[in-house]
Amino acid sequence: MLKVENVTKYYGNFKAVDNLSFEVKPGEIFGLLGVNGAGKTTTFRMIVGLLKPSSGKITLDGRFIDYDITDKIGFLTEEPSLLTKLTVKQQAIYYGTLKNMKEKEILNKLDELLIKFKVTEYKNKKIKELSKGNRQKIQFIMAIINNPKLLILDEPFSGLDPFNTEMFKNEIKHLAQNGSIIIFSSHRLEHVELFCKKLLVLKNGKNILSGNLEDIKHKYRKKNIEVIGDIDEEKIKQIKGVISVNLENNKYQIKIKDESVIDEVFDIVKTGKNISKFSVEEPSLNEIFIEKVGETYDK
Amino acid sequence: MINKLKFLTKISLQRKINNKWFLIANIIFAILIISLLNIDSIVSFFGGDFDETKVIYVKDNTNKTYDILKTQNDNYKSIIKEDENAFILEKTTKKDTEIIKKNKNAWYLTIDIDKDNYIKATLTTNDYVNTADYTAISTILNNVKTNIAINESGIDPNELSKISKPLNIERNILDDTKKAKDENTQMMMSTIFPILILPFFTLTIFLVQMVGAEINDEKTTRGMEIIISNVSPKTHLFSKVIASNLFVLFEAILLVIYAIIGLAIRKTSSPLDISSISSLISSDIIKNLTYIIPLALILMILTFIAYAILAGILASMTTNIEDFQQMQMPIVIISLIGYYLAMMAGMFEGSIFIKILSFIPFISAILAPSLLILGQISIFEVVIAIILLIITIWALLKYGMRIYKVGILNYSSKNLWKKMFKALKG
Repeated sequence: MLKVENVTKYYGNFKAVDNLSFEVKPGEIFGLLGVNGAGKTTTFRMIVGLLKPSSGKITLDGRFIDYDITDKIGFLTEEPSLLTKLTVKQQAIYYGTLKNMKEKEILNKLDELLIKFKVTEYKNKKIKELSKGNRQKIQFIMAIINNPKLLILDEPFSGLDPFNTEMFKNEIKHLAQNGSIIIFSSHRLEHVELFCKKLLVLKNGKNILSGNLEDIKHKYRKKNIEVIGDIDEEKIKQIKGVISVNLENNKYQIKIKDESVIDEVFDIVKTGKNISKFSVEEPSLNEIFIEKVGETYDK
Repeated sequence: MINKLKFLTKISLQRKINNKWFLIANIIFAILIISLLNIDSIVSFFGGDFDETKVIYVKDNTNKTYDILKTQNDNYKSIIKEDENAFILEKTTKKDTEIIKKNKNAWYLTIDIDKDNYIKATLTTNDYVNTADYTAISTILNNVKTNIAINESGIDPNELSKISKPLNIERNILDDTKKAKDENTQMMMSTIFPILILPFFTLTIFLVQMVGAEINDEKTTRGMEIIISNVSPKTHLFSKVIASNLFVLFEAILLVIYAIIGLAIRKTSSPLDISSISSLISSDIIKNLTYIIPLALILMILTFIAYAILAGILASMTTNIEDFQQMQMPIVIISLIGYYLAMMAGMFEGSIFIKILSFIPFISAILAPSLLILGQISIFEVVIAIILLIITIWALLKYGMRIYKVGILNYSSKNLWKKMFKALKG
């Protein structure tokens, strides 16, 4: 289990991470969210041992993270971190050996992953010759080549098309099923919603929202009502507790402040014509994020 | 961690050697060294009159000077210790234009009597003359003038012959450790040494480039984050230092091989002058080299290590390739200063300033052995230079490592020096 306990990190007088605590169990996929500069990368760097916390402690299975256990960690950085003059094979041997793997073991694993990600033809190509998407695949392969016990993914879907994104998702789920601890950040909050059972939102280095995704959504009082049909939009807008009514793709999206408003809305909707859908839905993570952080994630 | 250090060292070395530029650079080195060692054969192969003895046609209007001139021309050979005469002299009565029309390289010397009854000479040539030849003919003519003057003063011919005989200076050195017969070899070594240290300068540049370029590459590609999350910055820097020094050693061996090939070619095409080699071997210089070479090697190896650490620390602070190129400049300048000082050491013999500079790390590797060969400093002073270098390496590791740890993960040039000074404080 990964345990981050009361971790604070200062850069000079600037507090980048403020008393952060969370834990992730094997098999869990944990989302660490926040706008740029919120402290995500600093937190990742502390977890992989690149930075030392100013205070607090980080442990993996009860042990402090040092160079004795970094072999068990996989790290995919937000920026490309491949040595572009090397071939894919040389790169795999390089990073694999740094994880204390034997060359034969590295090459077997590399072949397996190249097949899985359908990039076998690039094995002997220099990384600088690959497209952005293929580099991202190779970078992902490098991060998981050691079957990591702890996998940190900083924006793993950057530069990927939907097909490859799906491929990545499947592999991440597969790793989690095999007991890996996975922490990741993504600008695509729909991915976080699909993946993560637990998440934490950072703002200015502080934890402003954390817990199980279901609980977070449940606790979030605002709901969305989706309606298909002809309704009296103006009447609904006049209901106290209705935040907004928008028509998008012939669907009405009605935002309400809490569940108490649902009955009143339903009473008006049922007077409408051609009603084919009335559904109360949980808010999206994006809505919760904007509300809590005060700005969009993609800032 | 030792395995990772070995691996990083191996891969660093491989990346440098399995590189087309390494191959190209070595082809150029091989051609250059072999050519330089056989430059006379190459120049001769293409022809020209560069080594022909100059012919001087002499029109002696005094009717008494030519024979004396010929004698002095022969004597000049023994003064400059050459096998051949400086000039071939031919008496003529023809006009200068007539002679030079036939042989454009020939000189035409007219000897007359001036109003004071001394000889005067006019040298006619088709083109400019070189300094060495001009100095030689001036010396010979002055000797002729002196000879005639003594002759006309009525001195006995035997006495005159003794006066005309070139003076041999016998050397007497009071220092028991030095022998007069080694003096020429010593002089020769002081001329040759700056050439011998040129490869050291070249290898220093190679080393700085290798360490700096790799660290800069790993930083700019962000591969550094993955590397440093698996090995400590210390291990990472050590791998670069070890790899770069092994590379320099390998390159030095290659340079020696090229030199051996060059000498072997020379031996078959135009055999070496054995006498100068045998005099070198029989001299005490060879005995001295048995301690000068190990001391110079120790200094050089320690200097390479110091340069590699310094290059690593400076490269860790760079954030792009332009920064890295500028980073090399101070190191190249320091190295150049050492090289030029070593060349000047012979000119400013006894200079306390140069002696003090020979203790300074980074330039001591070139300067101290030069001064030791010239006999200007003793082994004790070289040992001090070595100790100072070891202290420098220790300081670089202790304080520079703090900068390195922060520098390799810093991607912004904003407040760079502030960050580095802060890192230095620890």
